[in-house]
Amino acid sequence: MQRHHTRAATILSTLFMGLGQIYNRQFIKGFIFLIVEALSLTYFIQKLGRAFWGIVTLGTTSQHFEKVKGIAKLVKGDHSIFILIQSLITIIFFLLFLLAWYMNIRDARKTGAARDAGHTPGTFKQSIRYILDYKFAQTFLILPSVGILLFTVMPIIFMVMLAFTNYSAPNHMPPAKLVDWVGFETFRSLLVLKSWSQTFYGVLTWTIIWAILSTVTTYLGGMLVAMLVSQQGIRFKGVWRAILIVPYAIPQMISLLLMRNLFNGQFGPINQYLKVFGLDGLPWLTDPFWAKVTVIVVNMWVGIPVSMLLIMGVLTTIPRDMYEAAEVDGANSYQKFRIITLPMVLFSTAPTLIAQFAGNINNFNAIFLLTAGNPPNGDYQYAGSTDLLVTWLYKLTLDQNKYNMASAVGIIIFLIVASFSLYNYRRTKSFQEEDMIQ
Amino acid sequence: MKMKKLMVLTAAASMALSVTACGSNNNNGNNGGSNSAATNAPSESTAPAGNAGTDNTGAETAQITPEDGATLMVWESKEERAFTDAIAKEFTEKYNVPVKIEELSPTEQVTKLSQDGPSSLGADVILIPHDNLGRAASAQLLLPNDVFEQETIKNNTEAAITGASYDGLLYGYPRAVETYALFYNKSLVTEAPKTFDDVLAFGKTFTDKSKNRYGIMWEVGNMYFDYPFIASNGGYLFGDNGTNKDDIGINTDGAIQGLSEFKKLKEVLPINSGDINPDIKRGLFNSGDVAMDITGPWELAGYKAALGDNLGLTPLPTVGGKTAISLAGFKIFAVNAYTQYPNAAKLYAEFASSKEAQLMLNELVGSIPTNLEALEDPQIKDDPYVSAFAEQAKNSQPMPSIPEMGNVWSPVNAALPEIWDKGVDPKTAMDKAAQQIKDLNNGTSK
Repeated sequence: MQRHHTRAATILSTLFMGLGQIYNRQFIKGFIFLIVEALSLTYFIQKLGRAFWGIVTLGTTSQHFEKVKGIAKLVKGDHSIFILIQSLITIIFFLLFLLAWYMNIRDARKTGAARDAGHTPGTFKQSIRYILDYKFAQTFLILPSVGILLFTVMPIIFMVMLAFTNYSAPNHMPPAKLVDWVGFETFRSLLVLKSWSQTFYGVLTWTIIWAILSTVTTYLGGMLVAMLVSQQGIRFKGVWRAILIVPYAIPQMISLLLMRNLFNGQFGPINQYLKVFGLDGLPWLTDPFWAKVTVIVVNMWVGIPVSMLLIMGVLTTIPRDMYEAAEVDGANSYQKFRIITLPMVLFSTAPTLIAQFAGNINNFNAIFLLTAGNPPNGDYQYAGSTDLLVTWLYKLTLDQNKYNMASAVGIIIFLIVASFSLYNYRRTKSFQEEDMIQ
Repeated sequence: MKMKKLMVLTAAASMALSVTACGSNNNNGNNGGSNSAATNAPSESTAPAGNAGTDNTGAETAQITPEDGATLMVWESKEERAFTDAIAKEFTEKYNVPVKIEELSPTEQVTKLSQDGPSSLGADVILIPHDNLGRAASAQLLLPNDVFEQETIKNNTEAAITGASYDGLLYGYPRAVETYALFYNKSLVTEAPKTFDDVLAFGKTFTDKSKNRYGIMWEVGNMYFDYPFIASNGGYLFGDNGTNKDDIGINTDGAIQGLSEFKKLKEVLPINSGDINPDIKRGLFNSGDVAMDITGPWELAGYKAALGDNLGLTPLPTVGGKTAISLAGFKIFAVNAYTQYPNAAKLYAEFASSKEAQLMLNELVGSIPTNLEALEDPQIKDDPYVSAFAEQAKNSQPMPSIPEMGNVWSPVNAALPEIWDKGVDPKTAMDKAAQQIKDLNNGTSK
């Protein structure tokens, strides 16, 4: 009879939540568990079957009109997307319930084992005391965790699921039409079907080129400006800094919309000035190539101040004596830059640099406000020559209601950003040699 | 030992909460069982109600009365707010139904309705361009115009009824037609051009790119304004009066012929399509640097103020000898299928699109009526500007309202700049666009 209590408590708790605790004479806790199970059972008996039905079928009856005395009446059917969300919520709750059940069994088992070992099980008061004393942090993280689960994780799961349906205009828009699971069909269309894949690969290529160029140009530009301003012997440093920070102070939206007019190929001031000097001007926003150049140049204007601020901060942390030592050894300014400044700056800002890169992949504002993806491209589906994946995604959802395609694109953007970031983070020196700078 | 006990408790508590929260939600039409779903239909009250005290609802509206305690929400465009406020006030006075107005651009209303309608958060009456009708009707977001069907058909132009119908069923309550015509500056153009060859000839004498003076300007990258070049010689968007999605007519011989006329005009407007936008065009026309402008009634008030008596307006010049056919858009009211008060909503839509309402709209905002009697009214007939639009409207085709219309804009608006900016052969560009539309119509969403 050594293990008698352990086994009995475990079996009882498995049968019905709380029975094991009651058997262990922890009555209050046991009753709380009992009530939880009772309530949960009534909830799941009503909901769970429908949840599984819903997530498998996504609804079976579609909405229609019925004529009553010549007047049309709407007869509601299943709204596939609502069903999907509700089923998802129910199933998540069910998983939480299973987790609770597992912990209830474990608790009963442990208390049983304690009794077998000759201890008296703790009273309810003691249990509370124990939690408050030793498990305070975990306890109060429960609510935020549930919040994150419902408001962050659940929507993400939902979006991912959409990519595997045919939820799109015009033929599969609830409530009039039902939505079905189509497996990898959407991804197949996106990657293989010519009309979509041409757009996808074109936009993807430009997105990556854009992310690299825009990150590199703003970073190097910022570094150049920062070094110029913080050089010894430069006067009115405060003034220079103030002037250079102005673009950062203007809301991006305003400056970009302004730029859009500045760069107008016929009526914009830039080309008008060029004309004064006898130059023809450029088709800044109407030619695919020059439009790409323009967005990168404008992005430099917006982005350099940020890098400048960052790098100026880093420059002040470089110890002066390193430069003095280099001078004693006869290094010229380029050598000083290459051996001291660049590595120190890169080292401290690498994580930010990667974050900027990932951010530029999704730099919606720069493109959408400046060119709105234009100039139009006859070979693309719902995208223009300067569209990034993220602006294309915007057009797919808000203008065209191709939600399934948009989710698929969204998943791919996520994979790209996540893998770049992970790969780079792991290779960055700041993470490998955390002790390089004290 | 008693680890995670509170975690269990909290999890349990949240579950208990959700039981109560979701329990009450149980009957909200998600039951799948067709019986309970049917009882949840919001339009039960559609049955002729309130036959007791038919006060003074007037002969034509005697068929239905607003539900007790009905209040309406209406989405309206910001630009036409003056009219909306006035008509809502009159409606409230007559039927004692409060009307709440929310500003929302008509082009965004169907998208918003498709999100908010099924959750019963949408407006009861919406105002949409008719080319969005197919998308809304095929998604079953709208109640058909059944109570006032006969009257609406009897009172409005045939084109307006075509525009307000989808799949053989009348949904809309048309209230205005919108198309474009040729504005010109009388101090620069002595005689209104009759053909686009006239326009070309005049432009050659007037256009001077270095001084930013142009004989004519319009949004050359926008299919809406370029449609005369496609349609006047026999091109079309969709066959069978814009209902056959498999018959695409943007690359027929007629369309290509018209588009080569279009391409010729680059000589007098040597600018890339992307550099022309309404703001720039408006500024140049007002300052006399652009002599002619193809645009719609929405510019009328501003142009009148800037040019005064020098403003002329005439139907579009002929394309290749054929009468120019413009694209017409109808602004139509429609009733949300999920409205709580279908009767009140239908009454409002009818009331706000009546003859009197259309005349008021013309007076306050400057629109062109679709109501036949309103079109004959001196207020319209004697106004040279409105009558010019009304004249052009006679030679216009309603935009196709089938849902596939959404697939047309983007490819054609990409092809037109290729023709204009890069001088691509119209046939090549339009063939590609037509192929894309076909792909989109039959593509992945099938």
